[in-house]
Amino acid sequence: MRLSRAWPAALLLVLVASPFFSFNPFYQRVAALVALAAISASAWNVIGGYAGQVSFGHSVYFGVGAYAALLVFTKLGLPPIAGAPLGILASLAISVIAGLPTFRLHGHYFSMATFAIAALAELLIINWNFAGGAIGMMGPATARSPADLLFRSALPYYAIFLAVLAVLLWLTHRMQRSRMGFYLRAIGAGERAAQSLGVPIRRYKLYALLLSGAFTALAGSLYAVMIGFIDPDSGFGVLISVNMVVMAALGGAGTLFGPLVGAVILVPLSEASNAILGGGSSGAAYVAYGVIIMLIARFCPGGLAEWWRVLTRTRRRRAA
Amino acid sequence: MILLQLITDGLLLGAVYALFSSGLTLIWGMMNVINFAHGDFVMLAMYVAFFAFTLLKLGPAVFVPLAAIVLFGFGVLVYAGLVRYVMRGPMLAQIISTFGLALVMQYTALWVFSANFVSLPNTLVGGVYDVGGIRVSAARLLAGATALALTLGMHLLLTRTDLGSRMLAVSEDRVAAALVGIRPDPMQALAWGLGAASTGVAGALIALFFYVSPGVGDAFTLIAFVTVCLGGFGSVPGALLAGLAIGVIESLSAYWLGPAIKDIAVYGLFVAVLWVRPQGLLGRA
Amino acid sequence: MAITRRSVIALPVLAAMPVRAFAAEPVKIGYIEALTGNAAAAGQSIKQAAELATEIINNPHPELAPLTLATKTGGLTNLGGAKVEIAWADNQGSPAVAQSDALRLITQDHVVALTGAYQSSCTLTSSAVAERYGIPYLAGESAAANLTERGYKWFFRTTPYGPDFARLYLDFLAAVAKTGMATSKIAVVHENTDYGTSVADSMVQTAAARGIKVAQRIAYNANGTDVSPQVLELKNGKPDVVIFISYTSDSILYLKTMKTLGFRPPIVIGDDSGFSDPSFVKSVGPIAQGALNRSAFVPGKPDSLTYKINALFKKKTGRDMDDTTARSMQGFLVLCDAINRAGSTKPEAIRDALVKTDLPASALMINYKGVKFNAQGQNTLAYSLMIQLQGDRYVPVWPTEAASAKLELPFKGWS
Repeated sequence: MRLSRAWPAALLLVLVASPFFSFNPFYQRVAALVALAAISASAWNVIGGYAGQVSFGHSVYFGVGAYAALLVFTKLGLPPIAGAPLGILASLAISVIAGLPTFRLHGHYFSMATFAIAALAELLIINWNFAGGAIGMMGPATARSPADLLFRSALPYYAIFLAVLAVLLWLTHRMQRSRMGFYLRAIGAGERAAQSLGVPIRRYKLYALLLSGAFTALAGSLYAVMIGFIDPDSGFGVLISVNMVVMAALGGAGTLFGPLVGAVILVPLSEASNAILGGGSSGAAYVAYGVIIMLIARFCPGGLAEWWRVLTRTRRRRAA
Repeated sequence: MILLQLITDGLLLGAVYALFSSGLTLIWGMMNVINFAHGDFVMLAMYVAFFAFTLLKLGPAVFVPLAAIVLFGFGVLVYAGLVRYVMRGPMLAQIISTFGLALVMQYTALWVFSANFVSLPNTLVGGVYDVGGIRVSAARLLAGATALALTLGMHLLLTRTDLGSRMLAVSEDRVAAALVGIRPDPMQALAWGLGAASTGVAGALIALFFYVSPGVGDAFTLIAFVTVCLGGFGSVPGALLAGLAIGVIESLSAYWLGPAIKDIAVYGLFVAVLWVRPQGLLGRA
Repeated sequence: MAITRRSVIALPVLAAMPVRAFAAEPVKIGYIEALTGNAAAAGQSIKQAAELATEIINNPHPELAPLTLATKTGGLTNLGGAKVEIAWADNQGSPAVAQSDALRLITQDHVVALTGAYQSSCTLTSSAVAERYGIPYLAGESAAANLTERGYKWFFRTTPYGPDFARLYLDFLAAVAKTGMATSKIAVVHENTDYGTSVADSMVQTAAARGIKVAQRIAYNANGTDVSPQVLELKNGKPDVVIFISYTSDSILYLKTMKTLGFRPPIVIGDDSGFSDPSFVKSVGPIAQGALNRSAFVPGKPDSLTYKINALFKKKTGRDMDDTTARSMQGFLVLCDAINRAGSTKPEAIRDALVKTDLPASALMINYKGVKFNAQGQNTLAYSLMIQLQGDRYVPVWPTEAASAKLELPFKGWS
C-alpha cells in the first residue's frame, strides 16, 4: 500500500516541478492555466463536491473577482492584484445575499436557479457601463511597476497560482478531517438524514459557499491579472461554470485531488486539440469534450477517483 | 393600439414558448431529470424542417409531423443510451450528462450543417392579417394555434387516458408501478419520446418565422427553464400559462424598459419566484 | 525532407516556371481567427480568403498586376522567392484562447508576424502578447476604436473603424438631404456587445460633433427570440433613417418583423456584418429591397482587380466575396508585402517596412484609397462605399463617381 501511494506522489511532484525546468514557454503557459483552472475547480468542489450542491453559478464569483481586479486598475490606477481582496469581499456578500435563499432549493432546482442567477449577472454586467459594459476592460498594457504582475514568461504566474492552489488544498484537507467536513458529506449524502442527525444544514452550507466563493473570486482576479482583459463573456459566461463542474466531475467530485486531476487532463487536452486541430477542426474539440462528459456520467459517475479507489483496493487485496 | 399589438405579439410568442417548454416539463415531471440539451432538440427539429423543405420540397403540413417523428425517435434513443443509466446515478452525473449531450449536438451541427444561418422562405406560410390595426403574421398565428392545441392534447393525454395514468404512475413511484404490472422503462422511454416530439413540433413551427443555425438552441434553453419553473415542474397547463405570461412580460418590458432590459426582467422574475415559491406558480408543494 | 516538401509544392507550377533559386525557407505567418464559436461563419470565410491570398502570392499571377505580390514567379521576390505559409489558430471567440494562440504561434511555430481576428476582443488580447514579444501584428478586420488607442509599437490596422463608418453615413445622408429627402431624424439600433456598442458610440459622437442629435438609440441582445417591441418602438418614433448595427440572426429577425408589423422607414442602413452575410441576402433579400449598407469591397467592372479577385474567390468557394473577407484578405496582403519589402524576417525589419507602407489604391484588391499608417498604426486611407440591395445583390450607389447603379429611395422592402 505504501508503494501505491508513493509513486503517484512522485509523479505529481515531477509534474508540478517540470515547468520550472522547461524552456518551452507554451508548456509553461499551459501549466499556469492548469493551476488556475485547478484553483477554481477545487474551490467549486467544496460546495459542489463535498456538500453535493451542484452549482452552475460559480461564474458569478469568478467574474466578480476578475472585474474587481480591472476596476481598481481602470478607475483608481492601482495594480490589478489590489482588486483581489475587494473581489473576495464582494464574493462573501454575494454568498450571503444570493446563496442563502437559493439553499432552500434542492437537487436540480438548485442547479437551475444558480444557472439563471449567473445568466442574470452576465446581463447586468453587459448593461453596466461603468465597468465597461459589453466592451469590457483592459489591464495595463505595459508594466508600470513590478506590482502590476505583468510578465512575459508564464512561469511567475505558475508559481503564484501554485501557491494559492496549495493553500486551498491544504484548507480543504483540514476541512475534510474536521467536523465541517463530516457535516458537509452528510449533507451531500442526503439532507433529510443529515437534518435528523442534527446537522445545522443551512449554516454549514453557507460556510462552504463562503469558502468556495472566495477562492473562485481569487481565481478570477488572478485570471484578469494574467490575461489583462475581461468582458462579460470571459468573466461571467456559462462555460466558465461548466468547466469547473466538469473538471471536478472528471477527477472525482468530493475528493481532495479530484478537481486537480480533472484540470491536469482537460486543460492540456483542449490546448493541444486546439494546437493540433486548430485550423480544420470546426468544433471537433467540443464534440470530443461533450463525449467525454457523457462517458463520465454514464460509466464512471464518481469520476476517476472512483476508478483509482477500485484499482488500489484490488491491489491491496492482492498484496494481503 | 400599441398596447394591444404588444400584448398580441407577446401572447403569440408565449404560446410558442409554452409549446417547446411542455416537452421539457413532461420529461422533468416524469423522471426528475433536467434536459440541458433541450434548446438543441429545438435546433435539431428546425434543421429537420429546413432540410425537408429544401431537399425534399415538403411543406409544413408534412415537415411538422416529420420533425415530431424524428425527434420522438431521437428522444427514445437518448433515453435508452444515456438517461436510463444516468438517472439512477449521483446527482452530479445526471446534471452533467445532458450538458455533454448539448455540446455534442451543437458542435456536430456546426460540423455537419456549417455555421451559416439559414432560413425558410418567408412566403412558405406568408401573409399578414390586419385586424383593426393589429398586425399578425400567419406563420406566428399558425404556430400559436398549434401550440395551444398540442399543449391541451398533451394535458388530456396525461390526465384522461390509460396510457397517461400509467406514465404518471411510473413517475410517482417506479417500484409500486412495477408491482402492479407496469414496466417502467418503456413508459419512461415513451415520456422522453413524447417530450422530444412536442419539442420537434415546436422547432418545426418556429423555423417558419425564425432563422436556423447550430447555436440557435441557446436562445431557447434558458427561456424553457424559466417557463417550466414558473409554471411548476411537470405541469403542462402551468407551462402554457407561464409561457403566455413570459411572452407578454417580455414584450411589454422590452417596449417600456428597453430590449436590453427585458431578459433581466424575465430572469429576475424567475429567480424571485424560485426564492419565494420554489414549487412554481401551479406546481404541487 | 525540406527538398521533398518543396518539390511537392513546386510540381504543379514547375512547367510554367523558369529555373530559379530554391533556397528560401517558407515564411510563416500566424493567423488567429474564430474558426469555431459564435463568429465561426465569418471566421471560416476569412480563412478561405487567406488561402486564396496565399495561393496568389506563392504562384505566378502576372494577370493580377498591379496587385501587390502578384508576380511572374510567385513567392516573396525579395526573400529569394520564399513561399508564404499560414499557421492557423482557432480562438473560439474567446479572448483568453486568443492569447494562448498568440503565445503558441510566437514561441512554438516561430511565426514572423501575426494577423487576425474578426472579434476585436480577441485581437485586443492576442496583440498584447505580440507587443510583449516584439512581433508585428496586423489587424485586417477588427474595428473597435480602442485597439489603436493603446500606444502600441507593434500594432497596425488596415481596416476602417467606427469613426470612419459614422462619417461615411453622415456624409451620405447629407448628400441625400440635398435631393429634398428628410434625413434629420436618425434612429440607431444596435446589438449590445462590443461591436454594436462601439460603432453606435462612434455614430452618436460623430453626429453630435456635426450638431446632429440621434433621435432614438435602441440597444438589444442579439441572442433574443423576438424583436417586435423594438420595431414597434421605432414605428412609434417615425424616424427618417434607421441604422442597424446587427449580427446576422438579429438582422434576419428585424426584416421579418418589420414586414409583419408594416414598418417601412424611408431609409434603412445596415452596418455591414449582419446585412452583409450571404445568409441575410438569401433568407430575407426579397423583403429587404433598397436596404443600404457599407462596403469597402465592390467587384466593379470586369477588367478591375476587385472583379478578378471576386471571380477567383467565387471559383474557390461558390460565394461572392463580401466586405469582411475582403478587408481581412487585404490586411494579410499588406502584411506579406511589408515582409517582402523588408527583405528579411526579422521583426524590426518588418515593423520598419510596415511603418513605411505607402500603397496606392491601384495596388489593392479593395476599394480603399490606399494604405498608409499614422503614428497609432491606423490606416489613414481606409475607405468604404455605400451599397444598396437591389434584386439579389448589393450594388455600389454612392459616392456617385464609384456608383454602378442608381440610388433608389425610399426603402422599398417587400412589395
